[in-house]
Amino acid sequence: MPDTQRRVHNRLAVLRTERGLSRKQLADKLGINYQTIGYIERGDYNPSLELALTIAELFRLPIEAIFSLKPMTPLSEEIFREPPAEPR
Amino acid sequence: MSTTTTSKIEYLPRSRRRTLVIIALAGYPVAVAALAALKHTSLNRWLILALFLLLLLLTLAPLTVSYRYARGRIDGRRTRLDERDLALRQQAYALSHRVLTVILIAATAITEIYLTSGNNLRLDANTFWPAAMWVIVYLPALPSLMLAWIETDQPADA
Repeated sequence: MPDTQRRVHNRLAVLRTERGLSRKQLADKLGINYQTIGYIERGDYNPSLELALTIAELFRLPIEAIFSLKPMTPLSEEIFREPPAEPR
Repeated sequence: MSTTTTSKIEYLPRSRRRTLVIIALAGYPVAVAALAALKHTSLNRWLILALFLLLLLLTLAPLTVSYRYARGRIDGRRTRLDERDLALRQQAYALSHRVLTVILIAATAITEIYLTSGNNLRLDANTFWPAAMWVIVYLPALPSLMLAWIETDQPADA
């Protein structure tokens, strides 16, 4: 990844592990090389929009649940986060 | 080359790959310069030839490893090049162009300084073959060497 390119953070490793998929299995489903999955997970390669959308479709999640320009918080934290207090 | 050796080359860390690329690029000019310098000494001709061949061999080994590291992706013989491979190949070609430009400008400048300093350059087989050999060997290998240079370490298997 060129140094000037902005890093895209992702939850690919967590989602892949959660679904019990190896890098090879996920790569085969996506039609890419398995090393590429590792590079994406490590943040060394930003996938194209087409690939990102394909990944989102495969996991049946909105794309922003998988990729973000800001560092991502753990999923559990997001699920169990207390809702903001309602104004009186 | 056996599958194990190919696999070992595939997983070479970037620091080692970069060392190999530097040796591969610098080795040949060093060997030619050493040959030119030793020619004017009283050393035995066969000893000079042996030293030159040894330097060439030390250059060819890293050149071959670096070339093999990326060859399948540069020439497109690898069965499936995905978008990362294609992007990396594009970067390698762009870097090759930049490196080649620097080398050609440097060579032209050195030649110009040499000629304007009152020296003559006789173009014959002895002066032409080192340049010709460089073009024949390095020009096809340069994109592979650059790919070996830029690619980050492979992620551990999971």
